[in-house]
Amino acid sequence: MSATDCEQQETGWGILEDLPGDPMIWVLIFSELAAFGLFLGAFVVARALQPAVFAAGQATLDPHLAGINTIVLVTSGWAAARATASARAGERARARSWLFGAMALGGVFIAVKLYEYAGEIASGNGLETSPFFTLYFLLTGFHLLHVGLGIVILAVVSPGGRAASVETGTAFWHMVDLLWVVMFPIIYLVHA
Amino acid sequence: MIQDRLDIAWIILIGLALAMLLVPPLVPRPLLANALLLTFAAIKGRRIVLDFLDLRSAPALWRGLVSAWVVTVVLFAWLASAIVALI
Repeated sequence: MSATDCEQQETGWGILEDLPGDPMIWVLIFSELAAFGLFLGAFVVARALQPAVFAAGQATLDPHLAGINTIVLVTSGWAAARATASARAGERARARSWLFGAMALGGVFIAVKLYEYAGEIASGNGLETSPFFTLYFLLTGFHLLHVGLGIVILAVVSPGGRAASVETGTAFWHMVDLLWVVMFPIIYLVHA
Repeated sequence: MIQDRLDIAWIILIGLALAMLLVPPLVPRPLLANALLLTFAAIKGRRIVLDFLDLRSAPALWRGLVSAWVVTVVLFAWLASAIVALI
């Protein structure tokens, strides 16, 4: 038995130890990717079955607001990645500053998304308007909850600024970012 | 330099996000437009996986697994739209 095998047996996480951050966050990340993957798959299948309903719903959305939010979230992801690099270099104060920037941009994403929801609801579109809007509000609302949770996680790991904690918090944040860059074209731009 | 790599990834992500908004008005053919949009999404996802999530140096199993998730979702979305367009 090699030394690596012994270490992996001691921690109990096996090959998950090779990932950045706490292995537990990766269990969560893989679970979330599976759940969102199925959810997006359901959206795609529903659109294929009712293309006219989905095209009509999509036409009422504002892709420019979603585009702005994409830029906001990827910039937030960039700040979080810089925070990880700073934390690994032992620059805890700088890591905290980058994390604060990432959280602030996360707040901007939430504000823009709520503004977008307000416009859609004011136009008479709600959860029960059509299958498109049911899936749209559930998918984007579920993602929005994850943005909020991600900000809380970043706020928890921020004060210490330790590399392992920052890696754990930012891994979750990048997953939220990854989900959005895939969701954005599928919901707002792709036509059946 | 890791900071340089992160900055380049960020610029690519911003550029592709802006390019995606230009695709629907500039590319009238839905099949081609969808293919472009979803290819851009896959490239963005790959950049996030490699540079932001930092799986570039992780074992190929994990890098491949998360990348496969991105490719599977966008490919499924494109195939579904292609089938509807061709029927």
